[in-house]
Amino acid sequence: MIKTLAELKAGEEAHLKDFTKNPALHFKLLSLGVLPGDLIKVLSCAPFGGPIAFKHGEATTFAMRKKEAKEIIVQINAQEERAP
Amino acid sequence: MDKMPVQDSTPITAEASLKHLPLIGLPNAGKSTLFNLLTGGSRKVSNYSGITVEASRGELLTNSNDSSILYELIDLPGIYNLTPTSYDEGVTVATLLELEPQYNFEKVIILLDWHRIAPSLGMALGVLKRVGNKAIIIINKDDDQEVTIEDRKKLQDILGVPVLPITALDADLQTIDHFIRTEKPYSKKDLGAESLPITPLSASYLPSSLTGHNQLKIIPGKKGEEAVANEINCNLEESHRILDGLQTKNFKRSGLSEKIDKIVLHPLLGGLIFFAIFYLIFNAIYSWAGPIMGLTEQVVLMTGDWIGSYLPQGVFKSLIVDALFSGVGGVVIFLPQIMILFFLLSLLEQSGYISRAAFISDRVMSFFGLGGKAFLPYMSGYACAIPGIMAARTIPSQKERLATIMTLPLITCSARLPVYILLIGTFVPSYTVFKIFNTQALSFFFLYFLGSFMALIIAKILRLSAFKGGPSNFLIDLPQYERPSIRAALKQSWQKGRNFLKKAGTIILALSILIWLLSTFPKVSQEKIQGLTDQQSASIQLEHSALGQLGHFIEPVIEPIGMNWKIGVGLLVSFGARELFVSAMGTLYALGEVDEESEGLRAKLIAEVDPDTGKKVFDLATAWSILFFFVFSLQCTSTLAILKKETGGWRIPLITFTYMLVLAYGSSFIVYRLLS
Ligand SMILES: Nc1nc2c(ncn2[C@@H]2O[C@H](COP(=O)(O)OP(=O)(O)OP(=O)(O)O)[C@@H](O)[C@H]2O)c(=O)[nH]1
Ligand SMILES: [Mg+2]
Repeated sequence: MIKTLAELKAGEEAHLKDFTKNPALHFKLLSLGVLPGDLIKVLSCAPFGGPIAFKHGEATTFAMRKKEAKEIIVQINAQEERAP
Repeated sequence: MDKMPVQDSTPITAEASLKHLPLIGLPNAGKSTLFNLLTGGSRKVSNYSGITVEASRGELLTNSNDSSILYELIDLPGIYNLTPTSYDEGVTVATLLELEPQYNFEKVIILLDWHRIAPSLGMALGVLKRVGNKAIIIINKDDDQEVTIEDRKKLQDILGVPVLPITALDADLQTIDHFIRTEKPYSKKDLGAESLPITPLSASYLPSSLTGHNQLKIIPGKKGEEAVANEINCNLEESHRILDGLQTKNFKRSGLSEKIDKIVLHPLLGGLIFFAIFYLIFNAIYSWAGPIMGLTEQVVLMTGDWIGSYLPQGVFKSLIVDALFSGVGGVVIFLPQIMILFFLLSLLEQSGYISRAAFISDRVMSFFGLGGKAFLPYMSGYACAIPGIMAARTIPSQKERLATIMTLPLITCSARLPVYILLIGTFVPSYTVFKIFNTQALSFFFLYFLGSFMALIIAKILRLSAFKGGPSNFLIDLPQYERPSIRAALKQSWQKGRNFLKKAGTIILALSILIWLLSTFPKVSQEKIQGLTDQQSASIQLEHSALGQLGHFIEPVIEPIGMNWKIGVGLLVSFGARELFVSAMGTLYALGEVDEESEGLRAKLIAEVDPDTGKKVFDLATAWSILFFFVFSLQCTSTLAILKKETGGWRIPLITFTYMLVLAYGSSFIVYRLLS
């Protein structure tokens, strides 16, 4: 299933599909070591539409705003959907 | 109060024997930690990205043993890749491409962060393509010696450069020093030629003289973005391929970090924890330091009395007792607060919490038109506005950066501490509310809050008018939590304490003597004080002095905000440095008195009576009026200087100074009217 990153809830995981829409964001994510196809997990959402924290791989945690997360397309695999 | 180490900007004439070694690495990789270790320097180190914002040089400690070649290490701001996205990253890229003419590079040290090895190596691959024939690699944060000997060899073979895994927190200086001095790239491959694709936006963060450099290829439009993305992408994929071929599994973050984040980043709990932490810090400064401060004050007073009793009556005694002990001594007693503030800030910085605080407060910050990157400069501002203003270099958008810089002096810096504590401790009655909160500590916290809140409001106004625009994007890494080292915190606290004493012993001392001179001379003629009591003649003498006359001259201006001429003089001199308010009050009140038994400044302030009205000069209204003035006004010449340096002109510092003065005077006026 295709969603935007902003639609995920805390604890959910998804594979990144496309994050090239916003160049600045694109470069920054690449710089943090995030590649298309990578698995990314939502750690927490700050209240009132504040930023969202993500975990990528075993060693990286980062945060971005909801507005930016909306520009990122992710794919949730069928079996991951069943086991949140 | 503490200044950034001033950069020696005179270019070094390339002496044959002095070689420069730049340190390149991801933000938060530990470059400054390594720099301090190898050079004995004291660059600021913190567990969040974007601490170092300018280049700094330091000679290797071992230069004195082996003087054949002198090496100088260059600590640089961290970069994620060779495409700068802000001014601080621009400094590093420009330096690396040898675009800065003052350096004589022999080698380039690439510092990888084992905790983030994939992006580190990706960045390194990009650097190797340009300066591979000069590079050596150090892998930092290998705390548990996870990198095996085989893997190290393998990396060396693939990359063609020597590799050394270390942990800068507990490193053998000899090994690192030897590695840096003797190892060279193996130059099996022909590295170091490729040109660097860069977008026009990124080029704007580089010095304009460099855009014609032959290694830079500025590509406009979509093509440029693609070229840059492609470059970073390739390096990162390559990095993954290399790492997959190693035996060692990549670093795994401890589960504890994630558990802590579950609580600290929690939508509701997170905000509570945020406030609790900051309240605890300011409360601790206020209440822990109280008893120590009382003791230091007693010691200073008693020493002053004791020395005074050996000196003959006259001008010299007055200089020692009134300028030195009552003036400078009055400032020095705030040493414990300064040291506790920096001790606690250091613990917080080391822990990794600061980036989480930026996360929690982003919703509020972005409402006021500032991005998450503005939080960190603001945070530095609680120590001192100067490093905070410099840290704003990490903000990509120029308008947002200016809005941050112009509001940063409103954040309560450590120089305001003495004034706050003196006045709150003397005039705010102390009792407990809601069982746990002390009114004095609450007032103290309120002043911190007030400054920060006003900074945000002004930022919003600026972002709606002169520097129109929305908050820039917010993407920060949240580093792994680390157990803060008490030793490092003590060191930081000691260092700042020493700087404070140094300032008291130099600038404050010199200006205090000047204040004493101006408030002692000219002397009144003998006839005027004939037949008066000692007390009366002392006060007539004071009013007759140069400062006294000046004070009376400005009295009409400060009277509406509830101040008498002595406080007015204190305010005036505090524009040189905020602490001078305390020392000037100390001197003025000591001169106006002739008591044998000298008491603390606090007691004198409470006791003073207006000779005309017979009422107490200082009441709660006056005290709060002074406090509000100090919250809002820009009384710091160093801040004005750094504002000029960072914005390239007098316009921004002048505007900032003026709006803050208007705020200060206006709010003092209102507060005084409301309370009296
Ligand atoms: N676990 C671990 N932490 C380290 C090591 N070396 C440094 N650190 C920590 O890493 C954090 C960042 O250190 P800095 O020296 O400020 O990093 P920097 O590379 O100068 O960062 P910027 O100036 O922001 O580019 C600090 O909290 C250090 O205590 C190490 O070997 N192991
Ligand atoms: Mg640094």
